[in-house]
This record gives sequence, C-alpha cells and structure tokens, in this order.
Amino acid sequence: MKTYLSLIIGCIILSAGNALSPCWGAVTMQTPADVSSSRTVLTADAGQIPSPSSKQQENAADDPYGDENSDYDNDPLEEESVTIADPIEPFNRAMHTFNDKMYFWMLKPVARGYKAAVPEPARVSVKNFFSNLKFPVRFVSCLLQADFSGAATETGRFTINTIWGIGGLMDPAAGKELDLRKQDTDLGQTLGVYGVGHGFYIVWPFFGPSSPRGLVDIAGNQVLYPLSFLNIWYASLGAKAFETINSTSLRIGDYESLIAAAIDPYVSIRNAYIQYSMKEVKARRARSLLFKNAEADHPADVPQPEQ
Amino acid sequence: MLLMIFILSVPAYAGAPTVALDNTVNRVIDVLRDPKLKGPSAKAIKTEKLRVIYKDMFDEMEFSRRTLTRNWQKFTPAQRKEFVDLFEKVLEKAYLDKILDYSNEKFVFYKENVLSDNQVEVQSKVITSSKEIPMFYRMILKNDKWKVYDVVVENVSLVQNYRTQFNEILAGNTPEQLLETLRKKVKTH
Repeated sequence: MKTYLSLIIGCIILSAGNALSPCWGAVTMQTPADVSSSRTVLTADAGQIPSPSSKQQENAADDPYGDENSDYDNDPLEEESVTIADPIEPFNRAMHTFNDKMYFWMLKPVARGYKAAVPEPARVSVKNFFSNLKFPVRFVSCLLQADFSGAATETGRFTINTIWGIGGLMDPAAGKELDLRKQDTDLGQTLGVYGVGHGFYIVWPFFGPSSPRGLVDIAGNQVLYPLSFLNIWYASLGAKAFETINSTSLRIGDYESLIAAAIDPYVSIRNAYIQYSMKEVKARRARSLLFKNAEADHPADVPQPEQ
Repeated sequence: MLLMIFILSVPAYAGAPTVALDNTVNRVIDVLRDPKLKGPSAKAIKTEKLRVIYKDMFDEMEFSRRTLTRNWQKFTPAQRKEFVDLFEKVLEKAYLDKILDYSNEKFVFYKENVLSDNQVEVQSKVITSSKEIPMFYRMILKNDKWKVYDVVVENVSLVQNYRTQFNEILAGNTPEQLLETLRKKVKTH
C-alpha cells in the first residue's frame, strides 16, 4: 500500500514539476509584470526609433498584394528581433512533445478537477500564499541587481502581507493605497542584468524552456525557497506539486490557445520565451542603479545568431 | 457611475488611437453581453458580428506582411491572398473561444507611445479576477484610420513570434508547403 501511495505521489510530482507546461515557466508564470518598469523600457525604445519610410508604406497600401516591401525590412521595431541558439534542437523538440503530453494527459485533468472543487478566490489566496513564500528569492535578486527600491518594496510587501494578509493569503500591499507591486525577478535575470547571455535554448522535461543561465534559478530555489526546506522530501515535493496544480487551475486555456495559434508550436514557444526574458531583463536593468544610464549603450542579453 | 467608468477607461491624454481602441473594445463587449444573444445557437451570430469588428480594427495585410517580410517575395499574388485569408482563419480559430468566454475582465488603456509619424503603441492591461495581463497594441495610420497591426501580450510580440516561425518553415519549405500546413490547421477540428 505504501509503495502505491509513494508511486502516486511520485506521479503527481512528476506531472507537476515547477512550470511543467512548456511555455509557462518562461512566458506566463510571472503574471503581474511590473508595469512601471516595462513602461520605462518601451519609452526608451520609442526614443531611439527613427521614423520609417512611411510614404512607401502608403504606396504599398494601394496595391495590398503588391511586391515592394523594402520598408518591412527596416521597420523601426525590427531591432527588437531576438533569437536564441538552439544546437540541441532534436532533444528540445522531444522534450517539448513530452511536456506537451504531460500537460494534456496529467496536469490539465488534475488542475481541472481541482478547479471544479475549489472556488476561485480560494485558489487566488493559495497563489498569493506561495508567492509570498518566494519573497527571499525576489529580495536577494533585487539586492544583487542594485535595485534597492525594489528590495525595499519587496520587504514592505512581505511584512504587510504576512501580518495583515493572514500569512500571505491576501495581497493588501498591492492595493490602491499602498501600491507595492511584486518585483517579479529571479537569479537568472540577475545574471542577465550583468550581461550574461542565455547561452542556448534547452527544454527540460517537466520544467520547460530554459537555458544554462536558468540553472542558477534551480540552484537558488534550493537555498532561498522555504518549501525546499521541508524536512520530509515528499512533503516538499508535494507542496510544490500542489502549487503547480493551483497555478495551472488559474490559467487553463492559455497554453491551449498559444498552441492553437502557432504554426510550429515549438518555434513559437521558443521565441516567446526569448522575447519575454529579454524584455524582462531590459526592464530590470532600467531599474538597477548600476545600469540605469548605460541601458541604451549596452543592450542586455546579446542576441545569439540564428542557427 | 457609468460616467465614472468611462472617464476611468479613457484617460484625458488619450489620443485618437486609444479612443479608437476603446470604442472597439466596447463594441466587442456589447456583442458579448447582448442578452438577446444567449445560448449556443447565438454563437454563429456573435462570431459574425465580432468578425465585422475585427476587420474594421485589425490591419491583417500589414500584419501578414510584417510576419513574412522578405518571404513575401517568394509568394505569387494568388498565394499571398490565400495566405492572408488562411492566416486570419487560424487566428480566429485560436482566439475566438477565448473571446467568447469573456467574463467581466476590465480593459484599462494607460499609455500611448509614439513610434513614428504614423505608428503608435497603445499600452493597456487586462484585469481579471486573479491577474493583470499587460497587452500592447501597435497601430498604424492609413487613410485617416488607426488600425492594429501587432499585439504584444506579456512582452511577446505576435508579429515577431510568427515571423520566427515562418522564417524557419520557409527556410526549408516552399510557400505552397506553408500554405498546405495552414490549410490543414484551419481544417482540423
């Protein structure tokens, strides 16, 4: 009986590795993106943009299916185009398929059942609770990035939400009066802020899209995420599995439409991963005391050449 | 109260593109909330109404060409036309159910960045009961009308995402093969 129990627990854990769904670790897990910081970045972008040959575009509009497209090649937003090296693509594609199946066959059915049983406000509270526990990672990352106001915000949030938010179940700090927004950052981004590139693309089974730089997050979580300290190994993994099921239950449908919209889902997710992570790092750099002014000259995350 | 909501959703500094977008969102919400269009039988009518709004607001030609860039040259005019049509259907299939699922999410437009003489980026966020999703619309002015040509969801630009996919597919395949993939995608379930 005990063997069965541990097997079942093992399965849940397997199905629920942090951000199992192939794209979420990268794209959507960190939902409440820091609005003010991304704003900074985009404003900076707007500043550098040369005005394009808008006349040509109008001409093109006259014959919509026409030939001339020179203006599409030097579009002002083109400079944002990013790629990541993918030398182990066959392995990655296999892992992508594996994660995709795990999502549809295991994680999603479980999350669906859970969603039917537990009302949304409760699930949001659970999400807040786990998010509150991740305070040390965000706090240390902010400090390492020389984003001291971010670190202060995080400390304030942790104190307020732990005391007045009933141990983190609620998020009063993000309310209108206090407006302390979560500093969604991690150690991988911290390396990115200091100019460390991704290296190459790698899709982990269960964990989803990542890169060698992302290894530091896995290591960091061992040290900075309280759930990792639970004495009994299956309690720790069980808690993490529960966290994943809970967060998945709040996002059922997102991954599905991403896949449905993609012509080549593997390439689509890879690109979404790199686009998202580059802009996050850029936003973090814009907040860092060390790089605030240098941001324009040294683009973070030097894009890898297309293979 | 109604007036309040209106004021909140369109900030005072809003320019023409934001106003156009806001109108569109309101038109979409009106269709989705229409009490006369309830039940599964009304889905087709709703879809048709949404399609009209979509065509009015979304510059699919601009969108398609930006995703294909140089590859556009490899397509014959007939193929180009088919590509634009198929692409639209793929998007509709992927996102229609999500839109029809609408349940009181709030749309807040908070910033307008000028990208060039005739391009702006309107920044907004969608607020649901459990999260906020940043959503930026890149718009272009053609014939005195602002139309959306790219949507950036959570920092991911759709145009760029598709461009990477098409570049890779067309590096090893002909336009006809890409069209075939799209046709299959539109047909399945």
